[in-house]
Amino acid sequence: MQATNNREQTADTPLDVFAHLTLPQVLAMQAERLGDRHVALREKAYGIWQRYTWNDYFTYVKKTALAMMALGIKRNDIVAIIMDNHPEWLFSELGAQAFGGVSLNLFTSAVASELVQALIRVRSPLVVAQDQEQVDKLLEQIDKLPFLRTIVYIDPTGMGPYRDNPLLMSFRELLELGEEHGRKHPGLFEQELGKGRAVETALMIMTSGTTGVSKLAMLTHRNFTAMARQWLSSVPIGVGSNWMSMSPPAWIVDQMWGVGVTLAGGMTMNFPETVETIQQDFREIGPSVLITSSRFWEDLASKIRVKIGDAGFVNRAFFSLAEKIGTAVVKCEAERRPVPFWLKMLNAWASLAVFRPLLDRVGCSRFVSAYTGGHPISPDVIRFFRAVGLNLKQCYGLTETCGIFQVQPDDEVKLETVGKPLPGTMVRISEDQEVLVSSDTVFAGYHDDYDATRASFEQGWLRTGDAGYLDDDGHLVIIGRKQDIIRDKHGNAFSPDFIETRLKFSLFIKEAVIFGEGRPFITALINIDMGNVGNWAEERMIPYTTYTDLSQQPRVEELILGEVRQVNTQLPQPMKIRKFILLYKLLDADDEELTRTGKVRRRFIYGLYLPMIEAMYDGRNEAEVEGKVRYRDGQIGMIRTTVRVINVE
Amino acid sequence: MTDNNSEIFLQLNNISVVYSDVIQVLKGVSLTVEKHRIVSLLGSNGAGKTTTLKAISGLLKPENGKVTDGSIFFDGAYIQNSSPEEITRKGIIQVLEGRQPFKYLTIEENLKVGTATRWTRPYKKDLEMVYDYFPALTKRRKTLAGYCSGGELQMLVMGRALMAHPRLLLLDEPSLGLAPLVVREIFRIIRRINEEQGTTIILVEQNANMALQIAHYGYVMENGKIVMEGEAPALRENPDVKEFYLGVSAGGKTRTYKDIKSYRRRKRWL
Repeated sequence: MQATNNREQTADTPLDVFAHLTLPQVLAMQAERLGDRHVALREKAYGIWQRYTWNDYFTYVKKTALAMMALGIKRNDIVAIIMDNHPEWLFSELGAQAFGGVSLNLFTSAVASELVQALIRVRSPLVVAQDQEQVDKLLEQIDKLPFLRTIVYIDPTGMGPYRDNPLLMSFRELLELGEEHGRKHPGLFEQELGKGRAVETALMIMTSGTTGVSKLAMLTHRNFTAMARQWLSSVPIGVGSNWMSMSPPAWIVDQMWGVGVTLAGGMTMNFPETVETIQQDFREIGPSVLITSSRFWEDLASKIRVKIGDAGFVNRAFFSLAEKIGTAVVKCEAERRPVPFWLKMLNAWASLAVFRPLLDRVGCSRFVSAYTGGHPISPDVIRFFRAVGLNLKQCYGLTETCGIFQVQPDDEVKLETVGKPLPGTMVRISEDQEVLVSSDTVFAGYHDDYDATRASFEQGWLRTGDAGYLDDDGHLVIIGRKQDIIRDKHGNAFSPDFIETRLKFSLFIKEAVIFGEGRPFITALINIDMGNVGNWAEERMIPYTTYTDLSQQPRVEELILGEVRQVNTQLPQPMKIRKFILLYKLLDADDEELTRTGKVRRRFIYGLYLPMIEAMYDGRNEAEVEGKVRYRDGQIGMIRTTVRVINVE
Repeated sequence: MTDNNSEIFLQLNNISVVYSDVIQVLKGVSLTVEKHRIVSLLGSNGAGKTTTLKAISGLLKPENGKVTDGSIFFDGAYIQNSSPEEITRKGIIQVLEGRQPFKYLTIEENLKVGTATRWTRPYKKDLEMVYDYFPALTKRRKTLAGYCSGGELQMLVMGRALMAHPRLLLLDEPSLGLAPLVVREIFRIIRRINEEQGTTIILVEQNANMALQIAHYGYVMENGKIVMEGEAPALRENPDVKEFYLGVSAGGKTRTYKDIKSYRRRKRWL
């Protein structure tokens, strides 16, 4: 897997031509150019890496498209895909697009009612589902889905008893049907493929819906090819570059890379065997580029720290020395001072003795660059990775811009910014501090929602909804969601996002939600990080059993109190947190407290935890809680417990 | 965790257990047992239940295991990594999984072995007590243990443990491989011992249904960690315990093999 060595120059890639093609047309062209000489997709199945060349890839997409046509799916029909990261996702998606269909990916972790609601909105005649679990969710409420004609499942495990259901079809049967339909109608596929126009909608992405019902953003083929062009012309990646698809396909990030950058750049996309084996599979591939959520990096950093904490004395000593050296180097670079010679020598030693083996262990030794998106990442985490020699950079983007358009440039990484726009993107700040974007990647609008579409544009510029500013070097700094900015009783405006982010920078705090709208002072609900706090407790011999138990330990309260005080020192007086409660359970998307992408739904949480929030403002010392826990099979459980209110002063 | 007013008899504080210096089985396990209670440890195969018992009784040593971290506090003293003999003399008796009697001794001789760690020798009364609890053994007192049935052997090893006057009895899978009626009988006796003798009992079981019926408190273990704890009635009502340990699916119906799924519902452990 000599990924970086046999990479061809991106100049060979006809990006200008791609701009006028649909994504399946791009695939057809890539199959012609790269054929069987290059691997397009690689998936681990039964412990062995299975390869698909560009020709294989194209053949599968063709068969899938023909089969969908045979099933009577028409141009502009919306094909729903409920899958994890597997090649069949791309086959179904590009297959649907090949004849003018539109694809919509939904989260496999969604509960039945969420899926059904989404399907009703788009009236999908065809759903491609991962496995028995997803099929069961659909069959449970099938009477609400009269428009649904076929469900295709990928994994046949456990599907035997369903054989008589006329709605169901395996992916293998789908491919056979496609082959047969192709034999009967030669030229049909090519004819339909040729009809596609670059400005048509390729796929829809469901926005995360932090504040209410999520919207369906329509993205065109051109959005994706433009996005690919921006990335390929600014980052050293191209044919043969390896990357691994890990974030859910229902999220914009892997769409933008999977059907955008990878397709146009001729890169190799790798799929892990299952969610559980990601770490192992990741290490075997040794990707040269990675783009993923900030949570991934935070988890990885904390995992590395926990492992090092458990390591022997020598390893610990070496690591702590090496980390000091690396941090000093990063500091020099950040301040744009030359790195002194002696420090360079020390860093070379640290790299050889500690960093290289460490990065190899976690599968990160081949990175040219790595990116983090989603919510802002702690500067400590970024500093940690940069100190160990991993070129981790923050970026920024939206579903509505077809993904990421702001990246920290290689030689000028500033920890607190999200860098500069990619070439071809223009960013400006409106008078009321909102970040505005103009680019070919900006979406076509929301499906069936003209008002929302109109509201999201200002004189041709896309309103991101985020407040921010440009610093002296032209780097963008994001403050927080604009509509989240709220006022307390005394009229002081503050951004809950801003405070939450600062809290989450602590190793021990996993999630925080800030309240205070129309109230005399600011309060918080905090989730501790089970891994790091657990380890901390073990070192101090504090006995604990479950999350609930750990979160209510008096010494854990003290620990978090210290962290909150630390954050308070960075905040102006009216924004200081005065009281907080450590939640007895983790916020969870199944309980509607987080979006499926892991963002906090503040208003829902406010409603759910109102008695606890009231207790903080009443001056009570503890609050009785009755919490609901939702199970995936529709059951609802109850927890009754008491939580303490912690005063910060 | 526990109210401070009840008497803590045994406390495990963040123990980690490593076999052969490399295989970590438990990490940061803490649990508390109050006097005169039956506490049940539930969990699937390999969760670390037996290892937890062996860490308490000191029987890790013969298997090259060690408590590398944390402490075990029993009745006023720390006992982690003490020798099994010392721990037995303190009154902790473990009944191992798999029922291992001395095959070529009779039932009564086997029972007498149970008094080996005691200073005071008279055992007649104890024998009567054991026969009272396990009437099935009375008829077979002169039979060689090797000829006994599984149920009788289980009664024998438990009786042998009782002969040592345990203050804390560790029972590892007493129901394993026994007929349902025998299982019910054994559990009835366990409860009686606890009620009449005041013996504190830690019960490791796969048969979660029976265990939660007689236990006062329960812990659920997974992958060497405790994922859930609670009073037994509360655990019996928990949807995750129901689904994964009691075989009751949504709607209160008993699971059958007909509607088994290739996937399992996400666990919440709340």
